[in-house]
Amino acid sequence: MPAARDDTDPAHWLAAIATRRDRAAFASLFGFYAPRIKGFLMRTGTAAEIAEELAQEVMLSVWRKADTFDASRASVSTWIYAIARNLRIDRLRHERGGAGVAAEVLYESLQSEEPDRPDASLEWAERDDRVRLALRELPDEQIAVVRLSFFEDKPHGDIARILGIPLGTVKSRLRLAMAKLREGLDEWS
Amino acid sequence: MVMTITHHPSDVTLAAFAGGTLDEGRALVVSMHLGACPACRAAVRTFERLRGIALMDGEGAALKAGALERALAAISSAEPPSAAKLEDVQAEWPAPLSAYPLGTWRRIGGGVQWRSVGAPAEGGTRVFMLKAAPGTRIPHHDHAGLEWTCVLKGAFSHQQGRYGPGDFDEADDSIDHLPVVEDGEECVCIVALQGQIRFRSWIGRLVQPFVRI
Repeated sequence: MPAARDDTDPAHWLAAIATRRDRAAFASLFGFYAPRIKGFLMRTGTAAEIAEELAQEVMLSVWRKADTFDASRASVSTWIYAIARNLRIDRLRHERGGAGVAAEVLYESLQSEEPDRPDASLEWAERDDRVRLALRELPDEQIAVVRLSFFEDKPHGDIARILGIPLGTVKSRLRLAMAKLREGLDEWS
Repeated sequence: MVMTITHHPSDVTLAAFAGGTLDEGRALVVSMHLGACPACRAAVRTFERLRGIALMDGEGAALKAGALERALAAISSAEPPSAAKLEDVQAEWPAPLSAYPLGTWRRIGGGVQWRSVGAPAEGGTRVFMLKAAPGTRIPHHDHAGLEWTCVLKGAFSHQQGRYGPGDFDEADDSIDHLPVVEDGEECVCIVALQGQIRFRSWIGRLVQPFVRI
């Protein structure tokens, strides 16, 4: 499913929030992403109640940080995913009584300056389509482990049980799939 | 500073970092490598994009009634975005290590010094720094559990090759080590050690009195 464009493009809503604190654009972005964030968090092991709260926190964070979104670095979905991941990490650490450093700080080393690339103009929606394409091109047996591992955060042991294959096979299929995905996608990252 | 990095975390580790499933100690050591390694940053971004697409294309879960109204109320009372990014103070080590309180160096024997890194011991992982004088030969040690190391300064070598600044050594219990610190410069590393009830490894035994297992 290609991402929607133009006036229904999440990147435009985000830009409207960043430039003029546009509440209607925020409502649109909320309608689009809040249920997706909640669904994603629940699929990857977060209880419904907490996923609901985190979805709210993520969207509030999106409102606050809209002007830091850099369309040349990430798609809106990937940017929002990273915010959700970081807030979930902070939440889990807080619940365990830990007082570490905010997850955002731990992930800051990813923001180091990269050299310009000739393909920098490629639309992120198109780049995300490349990821979808690359996923579809994997052999079926690899797609299954990638979906369970990346889309549902299932531990390798659970994947082995679900698919009825040995743990070693899960690991080798994942290794092959990740090498293939990196080969096709790292240059676009 | 130009670094030639030859040893990287595995894809499984980079994917776990992108997924946010590593404990804080291990995430910190991986992050120190990422700050020095463009190739692994690109890999983590690839894995983050997979997650972004999982979020985008997956089925949504309906929020409770009134969720949008609550969100609109929240943004009305939200502080304006803080433009002020933290000033880059000249820290001894790059981020994110610079964000952690560090203990004083203490001699632990064999020409090696140890210093604590103030991260919570999450999931049984301890994180600390080690410093060894040039030419130090680290006694033979094997691994019980995981021992992830990122070189911050100097270099050491063992059977798997040479490890200089930015290099990442992802050792598990299948690996048998006899590291030697290079001549010329002291070697400083950050280490995440996932301990068992009692460490069997050489580094584990040495640091055991300090990390209070």
